[in-house]
Amino acid sequence: MRITEHPILTFDRGRELAFEFDGHPLKGYEGETIAAALHANDVRVLRESPELHRPRGFFCAIGRCSSCLMTVNGVPNVMTCITPLREGMRIETQRGKGALAVSDGSAPRIRPNEQSRESDELPVVPLVVVGGGPAGLSAAAAAARFGIETVIVDENDVAGGQLIKQTHMFFGSREHYARVRGVDIGSKLIGNLEELPVRMMLGTTVLGLYQDRTVSLLAGDRHLALRAESVVLATGASENMLAFENGDLPGVYGAGAVQTLMNVHGVTPGERVLMIGAGNIGLIVAYQLLQAGVEVAAVIDAAPEIGGYHVHAAKIRRAGVPILTSHTILKVSGSDRVNSAEIAAVDTSWQPVPGSEQTLDVDTVCLAVGLTPNCELAFQSGCRQTYVPYLGGPVAVHGRDLETTVDGVFIAGDASGIEEASTAMLEGRLAGLAVAQRLAGESHGAEIARLTTETREGLDALRAGPFGEKPRLGKEHMFEIHRDLREAGE
Amino acid sequence: MKRSADCVIIGGGIIGTSVAYYLAKSGMTDVVVLEADYLASGGTGRCGGGIRQQWSTEPNARLAMESVRIFTTLEEELGEDIEFLQGGYLVLAYTDEDVEQFEKNVALQRGLGLDVEILTPDEIRARVVAQLNTERVKMATYCSKDASANPFLATRAYAAAAKRLGVEVELFTPVRRILAENGRITGVETDRGVISTPRVINAAGSHSVPLAETVGVELPIKPYRREILVTEPLERFFDPMIISFSFGVYFRQVQHGSIIGGFAYPDEQPGFNQTSSVDFLTTMSKKLAYLMPVLEDVKVVRQWAGLYDVTPDAQPIIGETDGVDGFFQASGFSGHGFMIAPMVSTLLSQIVLGETPALDVERLNLRRFEGDIDLDHSVV
Ligand SMILES: Cc1cc2nc3c(=O)[nH]c(=O)nc-3n(C[C@H](O)[C@H](O)[C@H](O)COP(=O)(O)OP(=O)(O)OC[C@H]3O[C@@H](n4cnc5c(N)ncnc54)[C@H](O)[C@@H]3O)c2cc1C
Ligand SMILES: Cc1cc2nc3c(=O)[nH]c(=O)nc-3n(C[C@H](O)[C@H](O)[C@H](O)COP(=O)(O)OP(=O)(O)OC[C@H]3O[C@@H](n4cnc5c(N)ncnc54)[C@H](O)[C@@H]3O)c2cc1C
Repeated sequence: MRITEHPILTFDRGRELAFEFDGHPLKGYEGETIAAALHANDVRVLRESPELHRPRGFFCAIGRCSSCLMTVNGVPNVMTCITPLREGMRIETQRGKGALAVSDGSAPRIRPNEQSRESDELPVVPLVVVGGGPAGLSAAAAAARFGIETVIVDENDVAGGQLIKQTHMFFGSREHYARVRGVDIGSKLIGNLEELPVRMMLGTTVLGLYQDRTVSLLAGDRHLALRAESVVLATGASENMLAFENGDLPGVYGAGAVQTLMNVHGVTPGERVLMIGAGNIGLIVAYQLLQAGVEVAAVIDAAPEIGGYHVHAAKIRRAGVPILTSHTILKVSGSDRVNSAEIAAVDTSWQPVPGSEQTLDVDTVCLAVGLTPNCELAFQSGCRQTYVPYLGGPVAVHGRDLETTVDGVFIAGDASGIEEASTAMLEGRLAGLAVAQRLAGESHGAEIARLTTETREGLDALRAGPFGEKPRLGKEHMFEIHRDLREAGE
Repeated sequence: MKRSADCVIIGGGIIGTSVAYYLAKSGMTDVVVLEADYLASGGTGRCGGGIRQQWSTEPNARLAMESVRIFTTLEEELGEDIEFLQGGYLVLAYTDEDVEQFEKNVALQRGLGLDVEILTPDEIRARVVAQLNTERVKMATYCSKDASANPFLATRAYAAAAKRLGVEVELFTPVRRILAENGRITGVETDRGVISTPRVINAAGSHSVPLAETVGVELPIKPYRREILVTEPLERFFDPMIISFSFGVYFRQVQHGSIIGGFAYPDEQPGFNQTSSVDFLTTMSKKLAYLMPVLEDVKVVRQWAGLYDVTPDAQPIIGETDGVDGFFQASGFSGHGFMIAPMVSTLLSQIVLGETPALDVERLNLRRFEGDIDLDHSVV
């Protein structure tokens, strides 16, 4: 359903578009993704799984998980959760792996170039920032301030990263935009770039980071490559999945996907939702669901305590939503979409307690069970990787200045270890300063050093509280690994 | 890990695991395979999995034909699916030289009993791959009994079968050096200690070179990076491996539905670099979209690179080493080690066991590189 009234957001829907779904005429709006438009029309099944032919809907809504592949205008395997809807599109449920249209024998449109390498003549950019979230925007501002020409690349059509979906007021200290809504922080960070030598390439995905910091990009249908003197990876994180019976049924969505659907496209994910995870994200998204007029049956968490801030918990409790700690989900039921979920209490060793099962009448299950850093690009470029549970799992080894083990490649924000927007901004700034030191250190060394010290102190302060303990320990462990590698001469 | 064995094999690729299996099958079961990383982590796991019998020289064609004979019943023998499929090889000719060479090849191959056809462009589209763009193609040779298989599954299956017969396979166990005394192998030194043995089979791909050096043996092998990519899976629509030497391409659709393929840069310099390049991504994508225009909108999901272990005559080095008794070589496969592995490993196991090999492989011994050599350029 489309949201028409919202306490905080207004949705300026674009032009109405007519399209076809499995032969039926439907309507959507310009600016929506295909998956959002279909969802607004109550279509939840987007494809059939290729081997077992199970119904599948979308899950991540950010082009990561491949659950939403459909055949569009005859082309199979289109990621409908990130592909914009266009007038007259022919959209079909994809069955199987996707068959190609039979060739019509016409001449090929693409001809291979001679076997010469293109990479010698690539344009050179001093700094490429991958990701336009709080970390990336802050990195660009910090470096560009010292005259370093910067290109920010983000796959979305608007910059801001996760912030564009955050309708709540942020926590943290005043100087880090506490009590400002996430959506507004994004605009402020973008505003900071005015007058600076920064170019934004939006709607552009970085496909690869190759040797010598060669960056390969996909802008719509156009593929291009450039060479960067330095790179800041600020690619954020991806939602974790949880394994339970029928967990692939349409209606089981990641919390980020629910936010995108609801706060970006103004489409509700369902009528009654079970939220899994009582960390900040689970609590906040539960509240956002209530704001959008969606009922929340319960928030459950397997841990014995609520993980998120108590203010957030109090807000949803006041709205009458139960928060059940020491509870887990066992399964969901339904033929082609969720129509109920079974939950149970867990004992101290996290095992379901027999007899405690209860069935909730819900049509959506929202997973907010943690994030994993997006560090594929770092690994592809050859950065050493390690596994630090406190930082969200696999991470690229980096030092205090956020430099990885590959010369000139830096990593910041959630991509370097799961934390918060406030720490992401400071890490981004540190990475930007390290790039500035690298490329403009001779003329601005003192000023860069001063800002670096100040930013480090700010970061330490943010991590000093009880909520900062895990990332603090994780980061300390990481810096030790980095130091050891340095000392071993790697 | 064992402290002594009748035979130690260095390398857990298709060669190391299959030699282990054939040795054990013939009764030598006190064998250890030492792999520095995981199974098929070298060239094997990075390869295209093509199995071609259409070769231009008799010895190569025979090795490949014998290997296909073994491959056809290998799944039954090893008890596992290795995605073996006789989908054929379609070899495209773009130049007059191609045509001339291919006609000679076909005559030789038919003489050996291989069923090879010559197809016109129209016949290619009508009979083999409707979606192929045959613009500029002069003709093609086609052998429907050429094949492909999944290199990971094949390696895994050989290793599992060898283990069932008593062979030990030790992963993440790099060999640091080979030990020899008075011209005889005595053992190997690994990261996890020494294993004493009278026999070592050096099947470590390009890394065989530094290993052989530890006992003073020089192997004329150079590593060359070869890049490759794979697309998203699609419903299967063509069976053969499609290749062209003059156009520079090979590709096939694997059983899962992805299209896998690559080409070699003629100016690639030797070295152990195994990184991928953006240039390969774009050039290979264009080649695919040109040869099969229906692939234009298909997405590439991964690209990687592996090493060819190339010898001066592009033929492998197989057999015992003069001057170091008990030291056997099995490397230098020059980009076609997967397809001939079953037969090469059978023959090598016979040599190790002191039997007369079923095919004469004297021509593949290291000693062919001594003195002035008459290089037979039977690369294709
Ligand atoms: C519901 C919710 C509530 C939150 N509340 C708070 C809060 O109250 N306080 C707080 O401090 N934090 C909060 N956070 C956390 C905060 O949003 C994140 O920690 C922060 O956004 C991380 O910033 P980032 O720049 O590292 O990554 P992101 O904001 O995730 O930005 C990464 C960007 O990179 C892009 N990208 C990734 N890969 C590529 C590629 N290959 N090519 C091009 N672009 C790419 C992504 O699309 C994205 O736009 C909350 C998060 C959520 C989900
Ligand atoms: C891109 C590409 C495409 C190819 N396509 C085809 C094809 O279509 N058909 C075909 O027939 N061939 C193909 N090949 C060639 C084929 O992959 C190889 O010839 C074959 O896999 C060689 O197998 P191997 O066991 O000798 O070597 P490898 O698979 O390289 O095995 C050697 C093993 O030794 C291990 N090792 C190295 N040093 C040590 C040490 N010190 N101690 C212990 N272990 C060590 C390595 O980790 C490795 O696993 C291709 C190769 C590449 C790179």
